[in-house]
Amino acid sequence: MSPKAIKIAVTCVVLAGALGGLMYTTLAQGTEYYIHVDEVMNDPSAWQGKHLQLHGYVADLRQRPDSLDYRFQVKFNGKVIPARYTGVVPDTFKNDAEVVLKGQLHPDGFAVEPNGVMAKCPSKYNPQTPRTAGN
Amino acid sequence: MAALGSFVLLATFVVASYALAACVAGGRRRSRALIESGIGAFYMTAALMTVASGIIVHAFLVGDYTIKYVQRYSDSAQPLVYKITSYWGGLDGSIMFWVLLLSVFGTVAVAVNRERHRELIPWVVAVIAATEMFFIFIMVVHNNPFDTFVTQAPADGRGLNPLLQNFYMAIHPPSLYTGFVAMTIPYAFGMAALITGHLDDAWLRAVRRWTMIGWLFLTFGLTLGMLWAYEELGWGGFWGWDPVENAGLLPWFTATAFLHSVMVQERRGMLRVWNVTLVIVTFFLTIFGTFMTRSGVVQSVHAFGEDRWLATLFSGFMILIVTFSFGLVVYRLPLLKSRHELDSWASREAAFLANNWILLFSAFFVLFATMFPTLAEAVSGQRLTVGPPFFNKWMLPIGLILLLLTGIAPLLAWRKTTLSSLLKEFVWPAAAAVVTGAAVYALGIRVWASGICFALCGFVFVTILQEFIRGANVRKGATGTDMLTALIGLVSRSRRRYGGYIVHVGIVLMFLGFAGQGYKRDEQLLLKIGQQSTVAGFTIRHDALTVTSDEQKQMITGLVTVSRSGKPLGEMRPAKWFFAKHEDQPTSEVAIRRAPGEDLYIVLAGYDVATQTATYAVTINPLVNWIWFGFAVLAFGTGIALLPERAYVFAAAKLPAGAATTGLMLVLLLLPVAARAQDAASVSPVQRSELKREMEGQLMCMCGGCRAPMNNCPMAPGCHGLKDQEPKLDAYIAQGMSRDAIKAAFVKEYGETVLLEPPDTSFNRLAWLFPYVVGGVGAGAIGLVGWRWSRKPDASQAESVQTMAVEDVAAKQRLDDELRDLD
Repeated sequence: MSPKAIKIAVTCVVLAGALGGLMYTTLAQGTEYYIHVDEVMNDPSAWQGKHLQLHGYVADLRQRPDSLDYRFQVKFNGKVIPARYTGVVPDTFKNDAEVVLKGQLHPDGFAVEPNGVMAKCPSKYNPQTPRTAGN
Repeated sequence: MAALGSFVLLATFVVASYALAACVAGGRRRSRALIESGIGAFYMTAALMTVASGIIVHAFLVGDYTIKYVQRYSDSAQPLVYKITSYWGGLDGSIMFWVLLLSVFGTVAVAVNRERHRELIPWVVAVIAATEMFFIFIMVVHNNPFDTFVTQAPADGRGLNPLLQNFYMAIHPPSLYTGFVAMTIPYAFGMAALITGHLDDAWLRAVRRWTMIGWLFLTFGLTLGMLWAYEELGWGGFWGWDPVENAGLLPWFTATAFLHSVMVQERRGMLRVWNVTLVIVTFFLTIFGTFMTRSGVVQSVHAFGEDRWLATLFSGFMILIVTFSFGLVVYRLPLLKSRHELDSWASREAAFLANNWILLFSAFFVLFATMFPTLAEAVSGQRLTVGPPFFNKWMLPIGLILLLLTGIAPLLAWRKTTLSSLLKEFVWPAAAAVVTGAAVYALGIRVWASGICFALCGFVFVTILQEFIRGANVRKGATGTDMLTALIGLVSRSRRRYGGYIVHVGIVLMFLGFAGQGYKRDEQLLLKIGQQSTVAGFTIRHDALTVTSDEQKQMITGLVTVSRSGKPLGEMRPAKWFFAKHEDQPTSEVAIRRAPGEDLYIVLAGYDVATQTATYAVTINPLVNWIWFGFAVLAFGTGIALLPERAYVFAAAKLPAGAATTGLMLVLLLLPVAARAQDAASVSPVQRSELKREMEGQLMCMCGGCRAPMNNCPMAPGCHGLKDQEPKLDAYIAQGMSRDAIKAAFVKEYGETVLLEPPDTSFNRLAWLFPYVVGGVGAGAIGLVGWRWSRKPDASQAESVQTMAVEDVAAKQRLDDELRDLD
């Protein structure tokens, strides 16, 4: 190989390595696990501190009077996690609503991060898909 | 009508396949006749798609709910505008709209280039026709927008999604599609060049122009998408790294890369394989973006649902594109050899190269991150997602580096830059960066990313300013005009270069808006009537909550009074709209108080009518309006780079006399109303020279040697013919003679030859007309046959509707579903 080819090859390897490494480390911090309530409750300690997108159904929703503080349960497949959230909720956020919550699991329950409540709506373009709560 | 629509689609497929076959055969045999007939057929696809579009729009307008697509995406209460825009509101219609745009664009591209790139045209037509065929195929076999209900049709439609009933949404998809579709044209030219082996740089011109057009529309579409998200979605931002947005961004990156690297090829004959690759990748990404959002491969808030079959079709098509295109590149590698090597890393081509790598990396990164959930699920079975923070973490430094390069590249010379010239060039821009940075710090902004961004904006802006001033000074010295004329002359001389710089100014302005996002603030307020709260200096008082309704929707409106340090700023009315047919998806009608410095953005997030309490999400968005303004500048710059030579003739003044004209012309441009008012009265000096220039373009110089119009005689200004003709023209104009009178006078003196004949003689024009006549007659015949054909089923359907009206509704529904599954 000519010296030039070696130079190019080395540059490419170094660049690719550096970018790949950076990508890997940031990816580890940036990923959120999309997971259902029952999967979490099989081994809660394993999931604590990780960024989660928790999928389930709202139950026992309570709002502290004159505030935006909410406490509720998230249910899925017979398992329950208590959750808390402060902030604005979507209109569809009610008991039995299917939701995806962004946040972290703590020993005392699931803390939803700000703007972390997403009411599930599979496709806004196809409103004909009938959705029944609870399945 | 629906049957007619389906028939037209089928006919388009047949005609497109004929165009493909005729052009391939004609191209191989070098048969002019075959190619001409192929081109005619190709034009006809545009005519047919227009007819088909007319049918679906007509169905929307009259409310023909027997057509499923019409029933699903519109209803009778919808305003007229949104009935029309429902055309592209759903999957099937959007594909049809795609084909319509592609056929129209293709027709324009072929019509413009058929003489200039004669040897490429048959292959261009073939490639575009093949792409059209793919999309029509999808429609015909799978997503026919003309599908009708087999049993009784509902009396009214379901209505277009309320989120889409918005001005920006009405024009955002068309412009994004236009951008996507326009990228097919450069690809077609690239492929044609590879197939024919005509790989000299001539084909690049066509490719570059069309990429620029596509790039402009793509940018427009993306900007409108941002505006839509900002105004309609109500989360206070404009870019959420949603897969659909990313799909539009991917080809934007590669097209931008191409527009830069193509200059290196033109100047230095380098990067030829690279450029062809970029053209292919850009086209591929437009198809891939469509695939990503239409097939449900990635989850998105506004993707169209999942569709395996469509995914398979698209995958097949994409594999075909990649094999075919890169196969051709490999086949033509010997012709794509680079003519030069990179001389130095401190050169403009090296800066362009760096810009290309970064843009390509951005495309790769966005693609990877968008596809990550799908990839991760395929590999590990675990559903992982990456959110906007991950995108931002990467794209923020990338954006800043790109911005820096925008500033540095113009300071570098081609081939090699010496250190001393580099230092000289860098002084002012660097000083500007430091001053801006310090000013931002003094203003109390402590977000490092925004601060750096502002400093870089200052740097780039001064770089560009320096370029303009230098160029104008040089030209001023050479031509002896004033600064303004020199500047206009400069821009008209190298339109691409200075148009490009103006585009960069637009980008800088947009970056100001992006930087502002670094220190935006938001707060959520729960307020009872009369209560108030202060967010970042704005005092917001909740005054009332009203409930009103019209025939389409119910509206909950919060009345808010805003003041700043005691000074009232006015009322704002954020609202929530509940459309009757989409009550579970209320739309937020955001109230925005726009200002150059910062927007006050209020969303009615929650409410309780009984207690009259309301929750407001308040966002302070600094500098966000500069994004939209930046786009306007960018579009202006692109326009300058794209405009043909003729538009600048008036500005290419060399003498001080011309300078005055130019100045006056500018004033006239600014005051079009005044100019019109003058039209009837006296002929002003400016108009006279305008008329003169027009006449000079239409009269030949009769010196005998040049065979050129008066304004283009190579022997000017010393030409004896002009010396004779010009005073006469001046005299006629001074007499106030009309255009025709002047022409007649010249003809009388010099004979018919003084008139500049249009390049197409009458016979040629007839020959050109032929495909249109055949197309028109054909379309008419097809229309007539189809109309008669579709009338009978219509009658029988009406009958069946009557007989079935008494039957059980549920049973009909089931029958309909079963029949739908069958076809």
